[in-house]
Amino acid sequence: MIIRPFLATLILALAVRCADAQPRPAREDYLRTIELEPIVVTAARAAETLGSVTVPTTVVGAQSMQEQGAVRLTDVLANIAGLALVDDHGTGLQVQGFAPDYTLVLLNGEPIIGRTAGTLDLSRLSVNGLDRVEVVRGPSSSLYGSEALAGVVNLVSRAPEEGYGGKLGLRLGSYGTTNATTELAGTQGLVGARLLVNRFASSGYDLTPASYGQTAPAFEDWTADLRARGRLSERLVLRLGARGTSENQHGAFAALDGNRVERRFDSEGRRSDWSVHPELDLNVANGLRLTATLYAARYMTEVTHRRQDDAVVSYRDDFDQHYRKAELQLDASWRAHHLTTAGGGVIRERIGGDRYEAGSGAARPSASQAYAFFQHLWDLPGHVKVVASARYDAHSEYAARFTPRLSMLVRPSERLRLRASVGSGFKAPAFRQLYVAYTNPAAGYSVFGTTQVRGGIERLRADGQIEQLFFAVSTLEEISAERSMAVNAGGSADPFPWLAVSLNGFYNDVHDLIETQPIARKTNGQFVFGYFNLARIYTRGAEASATIRPMRQGRTRLAIRLGYQYLQARDRDLVSALQSGTVFGRDPDGREYRLGLRQYAGMFGRSPHSATLGASVLVAPLNLMANLRGRWRSRYGYRDLDGNALANRNDEFVGDYGVFDVTLSRRFDFPFSSETQLQLGAHNLFDITRPEFVPSLPGRRVFAALHLSL
Amino acid sequence: MTLSNYRPTGLWKFLAVLVLGVVAAACDSMDATPDPVPLEVQLASNVEADPVLGRDPVTGAPSSFNRYSLYDLEGGAVVVSSSEGDAATRRRDSSATVWDVGFKGTTIILNGGESGPGGAAAQIMTETFASVLEAPEGGYMADGENPNCPAVETPVGPVPGKPLAVCTGSGNGWYNYDGQTNLILPIPGRTIVLRTAEGNYAKMRILSYYKDNPDIPSADTPSRYYTFEYIVQPDGSRNLETTIES
Repeated sequence: MIIRPFLATLILALAVRCADAQPRPAREDYLRTIELEPIVVTAARAAETLGSVTVPTTVVGAQSMQEQGAVRLTDVLANIAGLALVDDHGTGLQVQGFAPDYTLVLLNGEPIIGRTAGTLDLSRLSVNGLDRVEVVRGPSSSLYGSEALAGVVNLVSRAPEEGYGGKLGLRLGSYGTTNATTELAGTQGLVGARLLVNRFASSGYDLTPASYGQTAPAFEDWTADLRARGRLSERLVLRLGARGTSENQHGAFAALDGNRVERRFDSEGRRSDWSVHPELDLNVANGLRLTATLYAARYMTEVTHRRQDDAVVSYRDDFDQHYRKAELQLDASWRAHHLTTAGGGVIRERIGGDRYEAGSGAARPSASQAYAFFQHLWDLPGHVKVVASARYDAHSEYAARFTPRLSMLVRPSERLRLRASVGSGFKAPAFRQLYVAYTNPAAGYSVFGTTQVRGGIERLRADGQIEQLFFAVSTLEEISAERSMAVNAGGSADPFPWLAVSLNGFYNDVHDLIETQPIARKTNGQFVFGYFNLARIYTRGAEASATIRPMRQGRTRLAIRLGYQYLQARDRDLVSALQSGTVFGRDPDGREYRLGLRQYAGMFGRSPHSATLGASVLVAPLNLMANLRGRWRSRYGYRDLDGNALANRNDEFVGDYGVFDVTLSRRFDFPFSSETQLQLGAHNLFDITRPEFVPSLPGRRVFAALHLSL
Repeated sequence: MTLSNYRPTGLWKFLAVLVLGVVAAACDSMDATPDPVPLEVQLASNVEADPVLGRDPVTGAPSSFNRYSLYDLEGGAVVVSSSEGDAATRRRDSSATVWDVGFKGTTIILNGGESGPGGAAAQIMTETFASVLEAPEGGYMADGENPNCPAVETPVGPVPGKPLAVCTGSGNGWYNYDGQTNLILPIPGRTIVLRTAEGNYAKMRILSYYKDNPDIPSADTPSRYYTFEYIVQPDGSRNLETTIES
């Protein structure tokens, strides 16, 4: 159903393109901008032009984010073809069919920490002050280590501009949403700095008025970001980045108590995190560069539930994560066509919190890690580029990993680029999988992370709570990181000046996925669970995109971007069960039927088809810019209701839906301001909601924004 | 994976078709004589399987009687409820062959072998309930005799499960536990074919573990209330074809 407005828009967009087919007389063209090819740094830990990368990379620049009226990272990523946002303890990113745990998110090349149940909530991240967002698909563990299994998202900050300047931005929108940004920047001689402060707040929204409490709580979020650089000498540059954020949330909900009486609760959430990132860049000799990086980050959350009638705290949970990293990287470029990179570093992490300290006494679990990586890039300009990289990670809590990658780019002609890469990725066991020591007070089961199993079982046994131990705990093997082998192959072409297309096919074979399994039966009939490397999945599919610029040079310009992804994400155990004919479905009326592989719709939360649409129109005489964005995903499995562990019945799926946004921007001349821009926009134009399934999708929202550059 | 023991082989399929054909032919030929005993699908609703009574005020752990409810398939009734606490009454009512199937939490026992004095034994067939038209001749196991209960897969190798006729554990017997929704859901296409304590053949399937068999249970729905369907053939034959459409 929802596909209809999407198609209508598509047809409209194409009609506009056809209308433009007649040749136009050339006009005076003061609008001509020199289109520089974007520079990216994530794919090979080195600056490359976007067209010359060897692995699939997408970039969204500051201008495009501004045109869209993007405020948070979720706004930007939602519109990139092949990426899907998923709700699981925050809004995370699905890349090539992988859950959010498998994508590394970087700020200027350093990991952003603070995941809940594997999800790094991307709505935490303001895009103010960014120069661009780079997205690399496929594994990059050979450069970045753990979590870079499905892909890498790198937020790259804007460097301080020459001279002095300031920016003010204010945006007001539905649901009491305000976004205010102040930015000051200055460069004097060899030193430059930029400071940004952003406040983002909302009174939340409610998709289910029938039940007590809002779907999304009210919140107030502050971000402060500092970027500074100083040229200490001819050869030495010091860069400093620092960022701090803080958020308060207020919500309310109702729940049944032990006597099945509904009780109302207030929920308070606090989050604060900061990171400091000094970097020294030394030009040792011609072609030889040394970069020394220190990075420290901390992430803290605290959640409190308070019963409304007697103000008793019914639940409290806190979490505290520290991350420290020191790294050296040496880049040597030689004989014009070679760039050799070698580096290594150490990481120390420490976590605390209610769920982690209970089992291990007062000691906070900590882990340390050392790694080394190597990359060689061989570039024959205009013809072939080959990049080989590998990384070795040794970790205190799980088995060491070696991850290589080989990628190449071939340019048979000026207008055609072919890419292929083979690589492996890995993801370290999550904190809970290593350190959790938790007994559910309501259900009575216990879960122990791999470092806690022995002690936990011993304590339960001493308390007489173990009825049967399934195996001797002393025989437990060390847990391994989850690992993958991936192939990406495709290319991009510019067959006409007005058309650019790209295509990428991918296949990820994933082993050793960590799952819980019972270790022992307790006297209360419940189980003790531990974490083991068990499951195997694969994801495969293809991403395609096209950029059409039917009007490139006139006073009115039009650009249309289309994207599509086909995806298959499958659990190998289920595939073989389906092939052997032992999987059945059952309708609510009791009718049972055998299922075959063809009825397997894939893993939960994965849409086989998804598409994006973007169109931007610039009407220069009016200083007007219109930007339309749409994204559509086909239905996806959401839950199992008939006990076969897969989605097969209609009521187990979330139906397909499409969401459209539109933004209008106009520039004005205004005294004391070098640039003034007024923006009006609407998100979710057709007011699509899925209250039960997609809580992060509020209905239609409108906003007005004013940006001043001084 | 563990149910691969029950994978329908070509031979099995062939036999099933053969049996179907023979039964169909037999039915045709018996058209003249009315069936002596009509077979109807019986429905048992909300059979208590030791439901949770409350929470320990200190630890919050669930408390229950930790007792079985015992069900008589031929009689179509609970003969001893898990709420019955009087030991003498329980002993009296659970003696001999008055009960066939017992329920406590997710565990299902049969009146035979190590669980009771009767002769009940069962096997789980990987077939839809409707398509099991004749009970197999052999393959029944009493509680305590089942060597096939899937082992718990561990990194140090498999560890044998409890040898009940209906194996315990998620994915091993009659249910799957969904870690996302915390729901216990009966696996479709798992038909329990059994001999009752008195030696009659029967087939049953579990429909729900939740009170009032809701279409979409939630983690808040009271659990440990079985709804199940069954057919008992009282004439001692293995024929399980329904002769009365429900």
